[in-house]
Amino acid sequence: MVVGELAESADLLVVGAGPGGYVAAARAAQLGRTVTVVDRGAPEGGLGGACLHVGCIPSKALIELAGAYEHARRPRVGGLELDGARVDLPAFQAWKRAIVERLATGVENLLAAQGVELVTGALRFNKPDQAVVALPDGQSRYFEFEQALIATGSRPASLAPLPFDGERVLTSTDVLGLDRVPGSLAVVGAGYIGLEIGQALAKLGSQVSVIEAADRVLPALDEALAEPVMRGLARLGVEVHLSSVVVGLDGDDLAYANEEGRGTVPAERVLVAIGRVPNTDDLGLPAVGVPVDDAGLIAVDERMLASASIAAIGDVTSGPALAHRASAQGIVAAEALSGVPAAFDPAGVPAIVFTDPEIASVGLTEQQARAGGFDVAVTTVPLAASGRAATIGEDDGFTRVVADRSDDRVLGVQMVGPHASELIAEATLAIEMVASPEDLRGTIHPHPTLSEGLHAAAARLAPRPARR
Amino acid sequence: LPFDFRLPDVGEGIEAAQIVDWKVRPGDRVDQDGPLVEIETDKAIVAIPSPTSGVVLRLGAEAGETLRVGDVLVVLDGADGGVAHEDRSQTDEIDGLAAGAAKAAGRPLASPAVRKLALERGIDLTQVEGGGPHGRIRRTDLEGVPAPASPGPDVAPARADAVEPLRGIRRSIARTLTHSWQTIPHVIDYREADATALDALRRTLRDSAGEAGDAQLAGALTITPLLVRMAATLLPRHRSLNAAVDMEREQVTFHGSIDIGVATATSEGLLVPVVRDADGKSLRAIALELAELAPAARAGKLTRAQLTGATFTVNNFGALGAWLGTPIIGPGQTANLGVGRMERRAVVRGDEVVVRPVLTLACAADHRLIDGDTLASFVTDFVRLVEEPALLLQELR
Repeated sequence: MVVGELAESADLLVVGAGPGGYVAAARAAQLGRTVTVVDRGAPEGGLGGACLHVGCIPSKALIELAGAYEHARRPRVGGLELDGARVDLPAFQAWKRAIVERLATGVENLLAAQGVELVTGALRFNKPDQAVVALPDGQSRYFEFEQALIATGSRPASLAPLPFDGERVLTSTDVLGLDRVPGSLAVVGAGYIGLEIGQALAKLGSQVSVIEAADRVLPALDEALAEPVMRGLARLGVEVHLSSVVVGLDGDDLAYANEEGRGTVPAERVLVAIGRVPNTDDLGLPAVGVPVDDAGLIAVDERMLASASIAAIGDVTSGPALAHRASAQGIVAAEALSGVPAAFDPAGVPAIVFTDPEIASVGLTEQQARAGGFDVAVTTVPLAASGRAATIGEDDGFTRVVADRSDDRVLGVQMVGPHASELIAEATLAIEMVASPEDLRGTIHPHPTLSEGLHAAAARLAPRPARR
Repeated sequence: LPFDFRLPDVGEGIEAAQIVDWKVRPGDRVDQDGPLVEIETDKAIVAIPSPTSGVVLRLGAEAGETLRVGDVLVVLDGADGGVAHEDRSQTDEIDGLAAGAAKAAGRPLASPAVRKLALERGIDLTQVEGGGPHGRIRRTDLEGVPAPASPGPDVAPARADAVEPLRGIRRSIARTLTHSWQTIPHVIDYREADATALDALRRTLRDSAGEAGDAQLAGALTITPLLVRMAATLLPRHRSLNAAVDMEREQVTFHGSIDIGVATATSEGLLVPVVRDADGKSLRAIALELAELAPAARAGKLTRAQLTGATFTVNNFGALGAWLGTPIIGPGQTANLGVGRMERRAVVRGDEVVVRPVLTLACAADHRLIDGDTLASFVTDFVRLVEEPALLLQELR
């Protein structure tokens, strides 16, 4: 036995320092646990995880740049003329890096303040209560743990005949790191990642095309939500090929096939954004007796426990791969592992898409509510009715409220339009508080704001009785 | 190039078949002779393999739909092969949301804070009846809900206990009384009153109503309406006994009206129908109203409005045979006047032991607001009215 194999003891071992893992670690430390966080570090990991380093935050920075540039060239408000707007991607990358570094330092300080130990390296379970961490310098550290929390997240799924090469066939991570706007970008997959980045690159000047196997964009979302985004794609000149499958690279192009035959789209760069796969394949999970399903996901109960001593949260569990879901689960898992009663039972997990226009949805859609057997009442208020939207110069969209008549409560809210990502929080609170449409109607909303859309839609569902 | 694979003739003269289960989805790659779909004819379920390798472009029908032989079953790109791609995460998202819909249907109508509290106390919210609009479960609905007992020793009891849920009026009583008993410090003044004059007055009034041919009034003139009338007469001068203490806001409400609840035993449990504005009602009106309310309460015919909102309670437990009791103050009130059974007892008058009808009184008050002297002042006045009911004439407007 070599000295290096002498196992250190760990009270709670958190694997992954993303928005799930670091939140869980901080909560557990608050509850008096001695916490060790193991994270594989750059490029896809690090404190804050993929979300901070190569996901949510960098993509929003790029979308903000693209939106500002688009606005400069084609102002949405009257009376503005800007000449000479120019995109400097290297300068953007420096700005983005500064943001990411500052936020990562914030996470580091948070964990340090709670006395959490951070270990950088790749972890693999090797015994029911032991894991080995391969350190960047080639050494190994062994940890004998009481409990472990798996929060290793996910990575972009690859397409076998279009392997990622970091040069031409790119992950979202690669595209977000570009320091030159490609002449053309072929996006494979019209999910939210493909469309967010595709639209941003289109605004920055790329000729963008999208290939999608389903018969519409954003197939995971309600169809009505995708329609304004289809118009947004058309405005930007993005070519969309639905019900189509990729055949492969063809010279400077990407070939696809559909019922009508074959076609090609220009493809100086290709973004493959067909989904994400959970990072559970290289963790040595059999050693701790935690199985994964065909999709690589870990089954957990309401307390996020996969076994008596192992919890799993975030993208490695079934459900939408969203940072805020992982964080909420992280709190639950930390509490459950520490003997505090806790359950992950939200009434709604808001989903937001930073397309142009933005999409936000929480709770049930009309279709889901009807399928669920509710006594459904639905109302939709178009954004065109909003004075504030008119002055922003973006009025393609709507607010929809889905309610249940018998319980008199809001079941779901869907929004399309500017700042929908910000506005959905109020709807989420309403659903969690079991609010009725009348509760929303009776709440004064400031004028003129976009928040009046939710107020107006709820008011239609809460008609005041006629005077007798 | 894409080609249409049509529903083949599976033999036996079958003309149509129902799709049972697709083994592929659009975008999937399928190998020659790989599983494609299961169909059901009126004879059997048949698995149909793919005629070629390729990529599925479109399904001709969804599971559950019926196709005729020759209809397009699936469109395949069968040439040198497209590239299968599927969007796993999006599928999960759909699954996740659909699961959410199913979950939303059965979930208790409670906010996150209430759910957390229930979790901490081990309360199963699906078993809690919410008191809010449309059954919403509020934080206060969890008060008095017992946590499930921790599993005891694993020994079977000699005779099985009968465990029944608390329901309806019983549960409501249990919650209300638990809350009152746990939150209100009770101070109780016990007295005995010589009821000779009261008893005589009651007989006179009853006989007089009988002679006037008003059998209804005669029957209604028990001692209870007299006690209610007396309380209504005195309460304007003892306003702290017609009040409510709110410790959350740390304030006292002195009720503007005098609404006297009269505790009434029913088969479902104790109900307290309310005589509204009792101070403005004649003895006759009160008697007749009580004569209607009590049987209606026993028949379960009173509305919630008729059973709530008392500002003071009279509890004639003497009707049940009790000589003395311990009244518990109801919600929104500060006092409850209990009255025992009127009995002929030996009492001392001067230096003589004489036999007199005696009424025992037990008046409970909320000690947070009412001290012993305040309570005693009310009870003393009340005893005086019982012993000299003629004073009622003086008190009446």
